[in-house]
Amino acid sequence: MSTYAERGATGSQKLMVFVLSMSLYGLATLISELIPSVQIGIVELSVEFFLFIPLTLAMLFDPLSAALGAATGELVFSEIMLGQFGGLGELEKFLTVTIAVYLAGLMVRDPKNIKQVALAAISGPAIQLAMSAVVDIVKVQVAVDDFEAIPGLPESVFATEGFSFLNDLCFSGILFCLLPTIFLVPRLYGKIEPLLGCKPRTATDDAAPALSGRVVAWSVVGFAVAIAAACISKAGMSIIEWEADWAESQTAVLAGIAVAAVAALIIGFWARRSAQLKNA
Amino acid sequence: MIEKISENVMDKVSIDFLRDQVLKNAYGNDDTPIAALDPRVLLLWYLFFGLVPWFLNDVAVLLGMFAFTAITTRMARVAPLVLFVFALGVFSQTGYMFVASLLFGGDLSTLAPLLVLTLKVATVSLASITVFSGLDPDRLSCGLLWFGCPERLSFSISFAYRILPILMEELQNILLSYRMRGRAPEHDTVMGKIRWIVYQVKTIVQSFYPLMLNTAKRSRTTVEALELKGYRYASTNMKVLKIKLSTLHAGPREALFAAVSVAWAALCFAAPHILEVL
Repeated sequence: MSTYAERGATGSQKLMVFVLSMSLYGLATLISELIPSVQIGIVELSVEFFLFIPLTLAMLFDPLSAALGAATGELVFSEIMLGQFGGLGELEKFLTVTIAVYLAGLMVRDPKNIKQVALAAISGPAIQLAMSAVVDIVKVQVAVDDFEAIPGLPESVFATEGFSFLNDLCFSGILFCLLPTIFLVPRLYGKIEPLLGCKPRTATDDAAPALSGRVVAWSVVGFAVAIAAACISKAGMSIIEWEADWAESQTAVLAGIAVAAVAALIIGFWARRSAQLKNA
Repeated sequence: MIEKISENVMDKVSIDFLRDQVLKNAYGNDDTPIAALDPRVLLLWYLFFGLVPWFLNDVAVLLGMFAFTAITTRMARVAPLVLFVFALGVFSQTGYMFVASLLFGGDLSTLAPLLVLTLKVATVSLASITVFSGLDPDRLSCGLLWFGCPERLSFSISFAYRILPILMEELQNILLSYRMRGRAPEHDTVMGKIRWIVYQVKTIVQSFYPLMLNTAKRSRTTVEALELKGYRYASTNMKVLKIKLSTLHAGPREALFAAVSVAWAALCFAAPHILEVL
């Protein structure tokens, strides 16, 4: 029983991993957001892939905290601080980064096994890129009306997404994820853990979470949520037909009811929350 | 020529410059009309202007919403760098796609649906710039906390703004010390350029090694200090929340802002019909 605590997965150590991953990955994404990407011919060598930081941390520490920290860091540093917060779209990025880093972290049982580390280090970005490419295609399909009808648009979307997937995986994936992770994990192993007061992860560690069917199922659920978040505008469009028949009384009444319901919901929540805080 | 331009850009975009801009954006404009508003009202406002444009398809309505968010962004006096990143982001979202669809045999008729998409993206981004750049980070995290957001998110926001300047300075110091010890390869020839890029990337990756160790130490100190104050228990305790959130206050100014927003939005929705009648 004591192994789990000794390994250092106590609440406060999880928080430490969270803070560490958040601040480092946040810093990296902030910088990469601001530095323009390098273009060599048609191949774009973007620096945006600093994923090696959370990957390394997820392999050395508790994967879930590192993954959540990285996603939060990206959200806070490069989206909220720069005012690039895109609402629901950010949910998709948050989920894909979390899933990718978490799965990659779970794939590594023994950080000293370089083959395992390498496999996980390339799988992480591959998972993330594949998920975000799918979500991007779906997003354009729902955001643009009569997607199929516009000449050249479907092909161009598939082509640009497919190309950027391969390009990112081959260049950024190898240069910025695989190589740095192989470089950093063995060097940091055994050195960084004592700084957080943990024991290094070993292959015989039973307490370490493993890649299981449940984790994969949850990841699929998360991915579905990400797609749903991207798709929600499509559903909204068909429910609320703003343009058509606005003057028609039924639509107007329905819209009025919807607005009133939302307003009532907000006021109700506001009152409840105020009362809750007052009575505390 | 291109090299000169890129050198010029690199001169301006030093880490110091980035740090100043980010800090200015976070703490430099506390006295704007937007920053004085109650964060809760602004978050609700964002919920509307950040979500509703996605559901609209009418150019007139979208243009009206875009104009309004542009005005609020102006009022929030956002740092120029943020606006530049915004413009870059909007272009890369849709302009790029337009060029690509031209290559695949599209013509100007592709432009109209893309204009709608561009307007949607621009309106939503401007609304988020107004709220998230216009507000003081502490007020923003208080507002989020009031709505019952996970404490970790609001903690992350306040923490991020405080730790960022320190981390940036540290990264710069490490990078500089690597650069002083190493010798960058000549980059006149093509091979030399490739070697130079590889060298730069290697330096950046290597500098994360000491940075990771230092940050690990720092995050342990931070978390231990938080634990001493009972952070993990305080964050779920209503009494603590009450004290923390007692500064929030919505008054006539917020009511005015909300009224103007509602009136403008109603006007936008009515615009197509007014145009029809005319």
